[in-house]
Amino acid sequence: MWGKPWTMKEGFLIGGGLFVTGVLLQVALGPAQWRLLSWPVNLIMLFLLLAVIGVVFALRKRVYAFEWMMHAGAAVPCLTYAAALTILMGLLPQVKGEGVPWLSQMLRFWPFILIWSWMLLISALAALNHLLRWKVKEIPFILNHLGVVVAIVSATLGNADVQRLQLTAFTGEPEWRAVNDDGAVVEPGLAIELHQFTMEEYPDHTPKRFASDITVYTENGKNVRGVVEVNKPLKVNGWKIYQYGYDSVRGTESPYSVFQLVRDPWIFWVYLGIFMMIAGALCLMLFMAPKPVRS
Amino acid sequence: MSWDSFIWFASVAVLLWAAGAFFAWKGRRALVYACTLAGLAVFFAFILGLWISFERPPLRTMGETRLWYSFFLPVAGIIVYSRWRYKWILSFSTLLALVFICVNLFKPEIHSKSLMPALQSPWFAPHVIVYMFSYALLGAAFVMAVYMLIRKQKTTEKEINLTDNLVYVGLAFLTFGMLFGALWAKEAWGSYWTWDPKETWAAATWLCYLVYLHLRKARPDAWRGACILLLVSFVCLQICWWGINYLPSAQGLSIHTYNVK
Repeated sequence: MWGKPWTMKEGFLIGGGLFVTGVLLQVALGPAQWRLLSWPVNLIMLFLLLAVIGVVFALRKRVYAFEWMMHAGAAVPCLTYAAALTILMGLLPQVKGEGVPWLSQMLRFWPFILIWSWMLLISALAALNHLLRWKVKEIPFILNHLGVVVAIVSATLGNADVQRLQLTAFTGEPEWRAVNDDGAVVEPGLAIELHQFTMEEYPDHTPKRFASDITVYTENGKNVRGVVEVNKPLKVNGWKIYQYGYDSVRGTESPYSVFQLVRDPWIFWVYLGIFMMIAGALCLMLFMAPKPVRS
Repeated sequence: MSWDSFIWFASVAVLLWAAGAFFAWKGRRALVYACTLAGLAVFFAFILGLWISFERPPLRTMGETRLWYSFFLPVAGIIVYSRWRYKWILSFSTLLALVFICVNLFKPEIHSKSLMPALQSPWFAPHVIVYMFSYALLGAAFVMAVYMLIRKQKTTEKEINLTDNLVYVGLAFLTFGMLFGALWAKEAWGSYWTWDPKETWAAATWLCYLVYLHLRKARPDAWRGACILLLVSFVCLQICWWGINYLPSAQGLSIHTYNVK
């Protein structure tokens, strides 16, 4: 143990150490408060993260542990812990609120956060390592490893900046007030006027389609007329407007329509990561799979 | 076209696939391809017929996804056959397809339901079809793992290589399915990932197969450990596909349970 070269055993011990550290953090700080990560704290965290990646990478020749982290052997224990905790999350009912058992809020459980961070660090280092010895045949590896990091880091850091509002508009009455998750009234800087709510049903009276014909008035004087329906949101001034609900008692005669307004400033980076991962998966299949052996 | 005619199409398809499997044992390659592809064409004609008469892709109920699964098993089988020339692979894929066809015949599970608005999206077909193809490949990898664990020392380099390939391609499709789902969720619900129980299990399954990939790189000699990992991963995959309908942690929470009222 701990003799060079390190094997997966050391990795499992490091993971165990991270788990214990996480438990201690949980005792000391309580469950993680993701809301604290809103702008500009998330930007500072991003720079910190990049700094850590940079320093660890720069010292890889001097510190053996840092060099070891870039190998597949380090990824196995890390991914095993991540998989185990995610399976646990799937087995135990997850609930909202405060003062609930640790494992009922896995996303706020520090060992889970530390293990996933470790995974992203390893993945980023491996990607960087392959990026610097640039060759075309390294592209699949870089896409896969960097894609995961870009997608998960921006999704996680950007989460607290996501604004999700509900706006209820009655026919013919422009509405500019919306309600956020906490029930507070917020003005999103645009107004929605509902011209007509349409609902179509199947012969068995299950809903087939619901749609709202609306005009969106913005503060900069832009008026956008459009139809919003499920799976077809409308994009106006950085907001995405989704068909969310209606008066389910009156159904087709609903006098109002409920919209969800979503603004996610980090979405570009999440999409970038997702597209890198899609390209990476394509490469995984075409170039990375071992050549067939025929006896 | 309705489910009433399923038994006819399925019977013809299975007979053709069985003929293909038979010719594989006899080494008649041209006939293997001809019969298997003809069987696939017949089976797909039924899927297409359902699609047209339902006025939506038949992808919604468990029965409908099993239909695609039965279709993709021989597809995966013929691909493996063409690259590795295993005589037994088509017998296996035919048998497994037959099992799923029989499940559909004897336990149909509300087949002709209408499509709710959340599912009316161009993402719907690719999301589910890609997942079903992935499940077929990873199912084959699972069977290989069991086979190698039983045969122990007799395991050959060629068998391990086949298993690796099945996992690489299966994992690629698993990734497509997951990410298409995320892109679709953003359009339908306004967020790409919400840790809905189905999503949590999709992530767990994905991570398990990633462990396999990295373990094979780090310790190529430890193939038996890797095989055991494939068994665990496949259990996760089954929980993700249909097991969550029975998991207490997912009751009433998952927005992915479309066929359970």
